[in-house]
Amino acid sequence: MDRETRLAWLLDHYRRPRYRGVLPDADARVPGGNPGCGDIITMSLKDGEVRWEGIGCTLSQAAASILAERVNTEKMTFEEILAMPPEAMIELLGRDIAESRPGCALLALGTLKGAVKTVEMNRKLKAAGHTDEQIAELRRA
Amino acid sequence: MTQTVAAVSEIASRGYAQPDVLVSTQWVEDNRNNPNVRLLESNEDVLLYETGHIPGAVKIDWVTDLNDPLLRDYVSRDRFERLLRSKGINQDTTIVLYGDKNNWWATYAFWVFKLFRVENLRVLDGGRLRWAEEGRPLVTNLPSYPEGNIRVRERDDSRIRAFRSQVELHVQRNGKLVDVRSPEEYRGERLHMPEYPNEGALRGGHIPGAKSIPWGRAITAETHTFKPASELRTLYESENGLQKSDDVVAYCRIGERSSHTWFVLTYLLGFKNVKNYDGSWTEWGNLVRASIEKP
Repeated sequence: MDRETRLAWLLDHYRRPRYRGVLPDADARVPGGNPGCGDIITMSLKDGEVRWEGIGCTLSQAAASILAERVNTEKMTFEEILAMPPEAMIELLGRDIAESRPGCALLALGTLKGAVKTVEMNRKLKAAGHTDEQIAELRRA
Repeated sequence: MTQTVAAVSEIASRGYAQPDVLVSTQWVEDNRNNPNVRLLESNEDVLLYETGHIPGAVKIDWVTDLNDPLLRDYVSRDRFERLLRSKGINQDTTIVLYGDKNNWWATYAFWVFKLFRVENLRVLDGGRLRWAEEGRPLVTNLPSYPEGNIRVRERDDSRIRAFRSQVELHVQRNGKLVDVRSPEEYRGERLHMPEYPNEGALRGGHIPGAKSIPWGRAITAETHTFKPASELRTLYESENGLQKSDDVVAYCRIGERSSHTWFVLTYLLGFKNVKNYDGSWTEWGNLVRASIEKP
C-alpha cells in the first residue's frame, strides 16, 4: 500500500469507525489514555468480541478501529492478541506515519492487551474462589 | 464564504507589545497566494493536515521535522536549513505558523524556529480552528514550491531555552517559574489518570516556587484567539506577580505547552527574559533527589 492509499485508509477508519461501541455485560471494560495529548480509548471484551470507545487524534482513533476490525474479523485469540508486538501495529498503520507517534499508534493495542489481561486475571481469581463482588472490590482497591 | 462566529477585535487594538507577530484569518486569506508568504501548519494530530489544510500551507511535523531522532534535542542547523528550503522558504519569506489546539504546536514550532533566530515569523491568531469555524476553505491537495534559499544561523540555546542546571540555579535564587500544565498535574494528582498508564514521570507535583498558570488561560475560548493585553496582564502580573523585568522560566511536560506561554509573555506582554524549559516535567519528575513541591 503506498502512502497516499494508506492515508486514505486511515482517514476512512477515523471518519467511519468500525466496531465502535460498548458490549453489554462485557467481561472487561478497560480504559487507556495519553493524558498529555488527550487521547482516550476504552476497550470492551465479551466472548472474543471487541468494541471500543474513545476520543482523540486521528491516528489513535483510526488505530482503534483498525485493530478492532482485525480482532473481530480474524477472530484473534487472547494468545494472539497478547503476542501481537507493537512493531506489528506500527507496520500495519504505516511506519512512515505511525513511528513518530508511538503513543497514539499503540494506545489501542496496549489498552486491548490490558483488557485481555483483566479477563484472564478475573478468571484466575474466580477459579481461586473469589466472587464477582470480591473481584470488583479487589480492582477498586 | 465566511460563517457567523463570535467576533474578534482587531489585533492592533489589543495593546500587545509586538502586535505584528500575529496575523488575522483575513490577512491570511488576503495573502495566501503571495509568493513571499509561506503558511506552515504544525499540529499535535499527525494526520490532521492530511484531512484538510489552508490552501497553500505546508506541513511541519514537530516530532520528525524539529526533533533529533536520536538525542533528546532539536535538529542541527544543516538539517533545519534543509527543512525550511524544502518548504520553499527564502531569506525574505514571511512565515506564518498555525495549528491545532489553539496554536499550542504552532507556538512550539515558533519557539524552535527562534532558537535558530529565524526572522519574519508570524502566528495566525485563532489558529486552524478559527479558520475552520469561519467557514474558510480547507483543501487536501499538497502544494509544491521550488527549493528556497534561506540561510539559517547556528542554533542559539542561550537566550530562550533553559536547561536543568539553569533551572536548579533559578530555584535556588527564588526565580519566577510558571507551571503551565493543568492544575491536577501541578498538584501532583494527575501524573496519569486513574487506571491510565503513567506517561513518563516517576513523581508528581511541581518545581518548588512555581506558579500554576495553565497555558490555555491566555486564549479566549469562544474565538480561540489570544486575549487582549489588559486581560493577559491581569492574569500574569496582577494575579500571579510576574513583572516584565523578571527572569521567568516556563515549563510543562516536554516544553510544548510552555512555549505557548513563552510566546505570550515575550511577544504579547513584552517580557524581556523568558526561557522555556523543554526538559520540563518528564525530566524534573524523574530526577533523583530533585526537590518537588506537592501541596
